[in-house]
Amino acid sequence: MKKLIVAAALLLASTPAHAQVDFSGEWAPRFWEDQPERVPGPELGDFLGIPISDAARLRAEAWDASIQTLPEWQCRPHSADYIWRGPSNLRITKEVDPVSRETTAFHAEWLRSVDRAIYLDGRPRPPADALHTWSGFSTARWIGDILEVTVTHLKEGYLRRNGLPRSDRATLKEYWIRNGNYLTVTAIVHDPVYLTEPFIRTTDYELDLHQRVPPYPCAVVQEVEREKGQIPHFLPGANPYMTEFATKHKIPVASTRGGATTMYPGGVPPRTAVAQPPAPASPSGIQVLPVRGNIFVLQGAGANITASVGRDGVLVVDTGLAQASDAVIAALRQLQGQLDLRAPPQGFAAETRSSVADRHIEPPAKPIRYIVNTHMHPDHTGGNEKLRQAGRTYTGGNVAGTIEDAGEGAAILSHENVMLRMTGQIAGEQTSPSDAVPTDTFYGEGMKLSHFFNGEGVQLMHQPAAHSDGDTLVYFRGSDVIAAGDIYLTTSYPLIDAKRGGTIDGVIAGLNRILDTVIPEFRSEGGTLVIPGHGRISDSADVAYYRDMVTIIRDRIAAMAQKGMTLEQVRAAKPTADYDGRYGATTGVWTTDMFIEAVYATVER
Amino acid sequence: MNRTFAPSHLRTLALLAALLVQPAVAAPQGRPAGPPPPRAVAPVDLTGTWLSVVTEDWRWRMVTPPKGDLASLPLTDAARKVADAWDPARDTAAGEQCRAYGAAGVMRLPGRVRFSWQNDTAIRLETEAGTQTRLLQFGRRAAAPARPGWQGVSVADWQFAGGRRGGGTGSLRVVTTNMRPGYLRKNGVPYSAEAQLTEYFNVVTDATSNDTWLIVTTMVEDPQYLSVPRFVTSSQFKKVDASPWNPTPCMAE
Repeated sequence: MKKLIVAAALLLASTPAHAQVDFSGEWAPRFWEDQPERVPGPELGDFLGIPISDAARLRAEAWDASIQTLPEWQCRPHSADYIWRGPSNLRITKEVDPVSRETTAFHAEWLRSVDRAIYLDGRPRPPADALHTWSGFSTARWIGDILEVTVTHLKEGYLRRNGLPRSDRATLKEYWIRNGNYLTVTAIVHDPVYLTEPFIRTTDYELDLHQRVPPYPCAVVQEVEREKGQIPHFLPGANPYMTEFATKHKIPVASTRGGATTMYPGGVPPRTAVAQPPAPASPSGIQVLPVRGNIFVLQGAGANITASVGRDGVLVVDTGLAQASDAVIAALRQLQGQLDLRAPPQGFAAETRSSVADRHIEPPAKPIRYIVNTHMHPDHTGGNEKLRQAGRTYTGGNVAGTIEDAGEGAAILSHENVMLRMTGQIAGEQTSPSDAVPTDTFYGEGMKLSHFFNGEGVQLMHQPAAHSDGDTLVYFRGSDVIAAGDIYLTTSYPLIDAKRGGTIDGVIAGLNRILDTVIPEFRSEGGTLVIPGHGRISDSADVAYYRDMVTIIRDRIAAMAQKGMTLEQVRAAKPTADYDGRYGATTGVWTTDMFIEAVYATVER
Repeated sequence: MNRTFAPSHLRTLALLAALLVQPAVAAPQGRPAGPPPPRAVAPVDLTGTWLSVVTEDWRWRMVTPPKGDLASLPLTDAARKVADAWDPARDTAAGEQCRAYGAAGVMRLPGRVRFSWQNDTAIRLETEAGTQTRLLQFGRRAAAPARPGWQGVSVADWQFAGGRRGGGTGSLRVVTTNMRPGYLRKNGVPYSAEAQLTEYFNVVTDATSNDTWLIVTTMVEDPQYLSVPRFVTSSQFKKVDASPWNPTPCMAE
């Protein structure tokens, strides 16, 4: 009997301290709220009840539905915050740890979605500059029977699929509530760029054992014939459809424009200031993010440094600021130290090689061998001198015989304009130390490394008159990673160095060239990865959003310039107002005013 | 080998079971022990003032929609016929201007709602919209009044997290019947006297903005006017205790 009592006590004790509800199953959406918005879709100009900022409204007014036909957007799924409202069945599965038998994750999928994983295993969040995705990164905790989900790392999406944007700085809170066979999901979006208040929605599903989520493949096709690089949008004030919804439904136009006042009956209640936790300090020193395979990105040295680290040694794209060189070299050495060089590569054994060599002692890693400069700015070339000196060029034959120091230091590759500027051969430029100057240059469309490096081909592609006159995109063809230099940034508007030959059209051409090269893995996500000159790891969708933004602003300023407006008049018209919350700056090395001026100065009239 | 429990073992098991189900709160001295009142074991605090946040169904909630705008609703032909005959002037003349403010519709109307304890076994729920009062009574169902009312008869029970008392969290379920026929939507979309309303009240606090939200999932069953077994919607309210209380009368239009 004692055993029975002990067993009963154990049974009670083993009940989880936190309740766990099983959300797994097939869930059918119930479209009894906002049905016309969800199927077939929202009407143009319907921003009712959404606490949007002025910037969001401006962007939505510029939105042309035809943009959905661009190849980059044809297979885009709804993001985590919107997909609950999409017209789709829902399947939730769960992962159970085989040892503890605890639920460690839920996975949600809809008709046209990517896998949405919600982790309950306590894993940490990725670094802020890791790749953002449509689903974001979700962790969850139990509050009684309610599952609270926190989502970060979201790609840009939309609050409503009629052009109302949601930025990639947004975070999402969800509360999953199961009432018997009904699931109510509360989704609260926080977006410092395009919302003035948290945006809350609740959506209901009913358990349906007979339902299935069918496959939904998506193929990109040429839907509309248009000139290359053309992005559908309306110039400010030119969208003729913004009052149709109000007229059709006899709703005051002012209400249809949305904003927090339309969400609260009787006006916006006062908000108590929330003591926000201090923003996490930027990690001091060099932060290393794995990208794919041998490719890493080093941050914290000024510009991003992309590094290929492997058996053949190290190739870096850009070298950061001079003062960060020692830390960069140390970080690269640490990466080299993590390589496992004991095992020979597959298929290495041959008549002249032994595969049974001593494996107890690891051979030394090969040094920095190549430096590629994407352009000449000091936040990208400042570390050239020290990194070159820390490296080595393997050479021989005639070269070694006639040039005594040919093997000293790593090779520095770039477009020749970078070399010409760093050697003062172009008027107005200062001379750099000789060890900082590119050793191998090209002057045409680009060059290829003449052999595989760390198992892959490396291609250097010159983009004329873009960020400057010496820009190079570096494509790691095996890892499928592009180091974009400052042609692509996620931290600001494009920095156009007009004095050194940069132009807005060149930047746009460069962005389109990247988009011509990349292939997404699935639903416009993943696949070829793009390392910006500054900012977070990106993919085709991130570059496409940026390309759209830059093109739209270029078109606006071009239209103003063609009308004969002066620079001051253009600035006063605020052609960037809908993007300033995300990319603008009023201080620092590259302000919004400087960007507008550079576009105005270089745009084709 | 067959094993049987001796009577003494059964007594021990019964004792263990009794220990497990004993009330969490001890009875005051001098009173017979009994289950603690619902107020004492509330797993969720609903009391206070909440403001509806209308981010869904805006054009059917924040303004009175035009006659015949029945989008989104799973209605029978009979319901459509009634809705198509909606005449707010006739409702007003007949003293029926509160039809849209009955229990099955009032939580979707814009405005504040206020929860307070009427006593240890009943929650009082007031609405600004239509100046209505609902009584959410715990325990056995009270005898139905002779005539149905707009707010019907509501029976409440706590839904404890994990299905057990003492977990510290949970929600409120309320089942309402005996309602006077009213409107699900202000433009005359009907529910009948046979309708039954089931509601779940959950409270969450989002630390990102420090907002506390009341999430109400509403299920209406009405075989006469609904073409589905249950018509489900959910609404959200923000905690706004400091905001003024401005009740408004029923308006047919």
